[in-house]
Amino acid sequence: MTASLETTDLRKAFGGVTALDGATVRFRHGQVNALIGPNGSGKTTFFNCVTGMIRPDSGRTTYRGADITRKAPHAIARAGIGRTFQLCRVFPRMTALDNVLAAVRPGGVLGGLRGARSRAQTDRAREWLTRLGIEHLTDVEARNMSWGQQKLLELAGVLMADPETVLLDEPAGGVNPALLDRIGTLVRELNAEGRTFVIVEHNMDLVMSISDHIVVFDRGRPIAEGPPSMIRTDERVLGAYLGV
Amino acid sequence: MPSGALLFQSVILGLLLGGLYALLAAGLTLYFGIMRVVMIAHSAFLILAAYLAWFTHERLGIDPLLSMVVTVPLFFAAGVLMQRGLLSRLRPMTLTMMSVLLTFAIAVLIEGLLGYAFTGTQRRIQLGYGSASIGLFGARIAVVKLIAFGLAAVALLALYLLMKKTKFGWALRATIQQPDAARLVGIDTEKIAGYGFGLGLATAAIGGTALSLDTTIYPSLHWHWIGPLMAIIVVGGLGSVPGAAAAALLLGLMQSLLQIPMGTTWAQTIFYLALFATLAFRPQGFFGGRLAQRF
Amino acid sequence: MPSASDTVTAPGAAPAPPGPAAGRPRLGRVLTIAAVVALAAAVLAFPGLAPNPYILSAGIVVLNYAVLSTSWNFVGGFTGYISLGHGALAGLGGYGTGLLVTKAGLPSLAALVLAMLLVALIAVPIGFAALRVRGASFVIVSIALVLIMLLVFQSWASVTGGSRGLVVPRPFPDLLRPEHHRVFYYLYAGLLALALGVWWLIDRSRFGLGLKAIREDEDKAEALGTPTFAYKLVVFVVSAAFTALSGGLYALWFGDLDPVFQFSILTGSYMVLMALLGGVRNLFGPLVGALVVGTALEFFKGSFGNTPLHLVATGVLLGLVVMFMPDGVLPALRNLFARFDRTRQSSIREVSAAELRDQRLQSTGGKA
Repeated sequence: MTASLETTDLRKAFGGVTALDGATVRFRHGQVNALIGPNGSGKTTFFNCVTGMIRPDSGRTTYRGADITRKAPHAIARAGIGRTFQLCRVFPRMTALDNVLAAVRPGGVLGGLRGARSRAQTDRAREWLTRLGIEHLTDVEARNMSWGQQKLLELAGVLMADPETVLLDEPAGGVNPALLDRIGTLVRELNAEGRTFVIVEHNMDLVMSISDHIVVFDRGRPIAEGPPSMIRTDERVLGAYLGV
Repeated sequence: MPSGALLFQSVILGLLLGGLYALLAAGLTLYFGIMRVVMIAHSAFLILAAYLAWFTHERLGIDPLLSMVVTVPLFFAAGVLMQRGLLSRLRPMTLTMMSVLLTFAIAVLIEGLLGYAFTGTQRRIQLGYGSASIGLFGARIAVVKLIAFGLAAVALLALYLLMKKTKFGWALRATIQQPDAARLVGIDTEKIAGYGFGLGLATAAIGGTALSLDTTIYPSLHWHWIGPLMAIIVVGGLGSVPGAAAAALLLGLMQSLLQIPMGTTWAQTIFYLALFATLAFRPQGFFGGRLAQRF
Repeated sequence: MPSASDTVTAPGAAPAPPGPAAGRPRLGRVLTIAAVVALAAAVLAFPGLAPNPYILSAGIVVLNYAVLSTSWNFVGGFTGYISLGHGALAGLGGYGTGLLVTKAGLPSLAALVLAMLLVALIAVPIGFAALRVRGASFVIVSIALVLIMLLVFQSWASVTGGSRGLVVPRPFPDLLRPEHHRVFYYLYAGLLALALGVWWLIDRSRFGLGLKAIREDEDKAEALGTPTFAYKLVVFVVSAAFTALSGGLYALWFGDLDPVFQFSILTGSYMVLMALLGGVRNLFGPLVGALVVGTALEFFKGSFGNTPLHLVATGVLLGLVVMFMPDGVLPALRNLFARFDRTRQSSIREVSAAELRDQRLQSTGGKA
């Protein structure tokens, strides 16, 4: 199994609080990876370090063999890693269409001056909106949408950039069961099309049903990993969650 | 090469000036810590307090230091009102930018009102003890400068004790560092934030009185203060009080020393050079301040 | 005219699917175009209608404000970064032009263009320092810029003339005063058209969409692959160039520069006030704001001269706009229109997540 995203001994402390304590993780290419662990175990910090939003104190991250540790977030995004945020982030005063179009790479200096709503890109954007079932909101500003709609919109934007690897930070957070099912199905479909996923999630039903590989974090480092069936019975995992 | 006595005198004067900078920068840092607000009107309130001190002395014939009996509580109230009535009502999403504009507007308003009330004429307090000075190893230090520094030092010390030793200070620090957690343990963060602003503005009242003792004041003087003060809080690392104090003393000292070869006007540029250098090379400031990176 | 990112318009887009948005824009567009044509006609006809050169020169001053606030809006409107120091860039453009004419003996036009290029060049390191970090530091640098420039240009009297001022020879010595005004009026009108055109072009481009994404959520834009720092820097330089052109033109027209006025903190605050009052997310917002505020300023100056009341009025007005109308007049007007044909309001709203987030932010004292 080849690793697509790999970290070696990532460390990060905020003041006196150690958020990442030597995290060495390999995520598998072409699979749905899940990252679970109790609150405060460093999952979101890990995401932020991998995507360049936070600089780790030490350690390194490689993506498909290339070192991306010190790269700017946009460069990492362009290398093929897309991400969503824990508290779903969209551009509030932009329409759904613009939200998705904002992910289009301009393509050089002159490309930047081309119209944002070129036919080809608009069509692609509409396709994503349709696929996520929010095409009826195309011209609605994001701030006027419900929480669930915004989550779908955020995902549409991330996918518009056509990332090879998608990091989802709590996709199930605050969504209703019907939507949860839809997100689960979508992840499996997109994975079947060749996208790698890394998902931070607290909803164990979702994690167990869609992941191929699970990494368990506790106190800033992985304590166990393996397929769902194994994780389910791992005592260390139970211990971490129960605080034993 | 300037004589040793001149150098020594400059060092003393620089530290005295730095003390005042430190007090004022502490106020600015407080606002920034509480609400991420860059309070442009801070120095306008400073000049306002200086005018009130001048007025007390000139028109009422009372020692300017006594004006603080009125201005300190008054400014405290104004600070609370400003935070509760204006700044906390801005949209959170655009708070940083809009609060700067709002406090800028207040600064311009105060400047205009001062010009209207007292005209643009330059004012200066003539004190009985204004020209007295003491000699120290060949340096001559004006007594009023010492009084001004003493005021600033006492106020800073009081602020420090308030922050570290009292229940209010504990609540204020909690509000600044962990607002969510502060609410969880039952702190009324909104009220505390208002009081924090009041406290910040009270430092401007004390600073203004100290300033009025030996400075010629005019309505637009506040622009000469806000620039250096903003440079100080950036160099110190936005949000860090000890950082601001250290930067204030250091930059005050450098300004004072640079006045010898460069003259007063050019010496001011040190603040802006420090500001640009900090932002270009070390945006989080030189003295900690972990908040700075994101703002 | 609404900016391209607003809900109501989707110019150039394929016909919207049969949904809430269809049909609505037509009336609005016609009205917008009519208003723009009327405005353009009024601007062009003004010199013929102005009863005396004084009124015409007031018209030039207002146009100068319009160009300045439109230039400011390249940064303020697209990225949401508020600069209070654009006055310094205008002042640099003015002094640059003036010094290149008087000291280097360049022809006026060449001096104007070269000064613009120089200011754009200077804007790179300034932007580098100011834009690396978010928000607050940018405003701090922008204010500091004005204060530094005032300091330098007042003190460096051997070159700049200091407080004695710098006299810039007229570019057209043969013209009589009214003619001179008329020429500059149209030069300013042309510059305004150019600035508006470039703003419009960026507004509908991918670059512009990226800038607006920065305004909405910078981290998010960065995570989507937008090189936010480069984008901000580029648009800041463009903004500086237009601001410098306006300042340079002013130097050539007015012919006398004084640091106190060229590097006044007020110039920058006027730009912000005008743009904000009109509406920063709208192409014509700053222009409308400049027409209102600029005309009022000129009127008060004519009636009462320079008094501290200028400051009081500016402060109060800016405060009111920030507190009660941060989106400006034009969006307010459009909402008024929208209320008349409400058909397109559908009931998609369940819980607005933006509101949720706002509440959440509010509860944390605005920390994100």
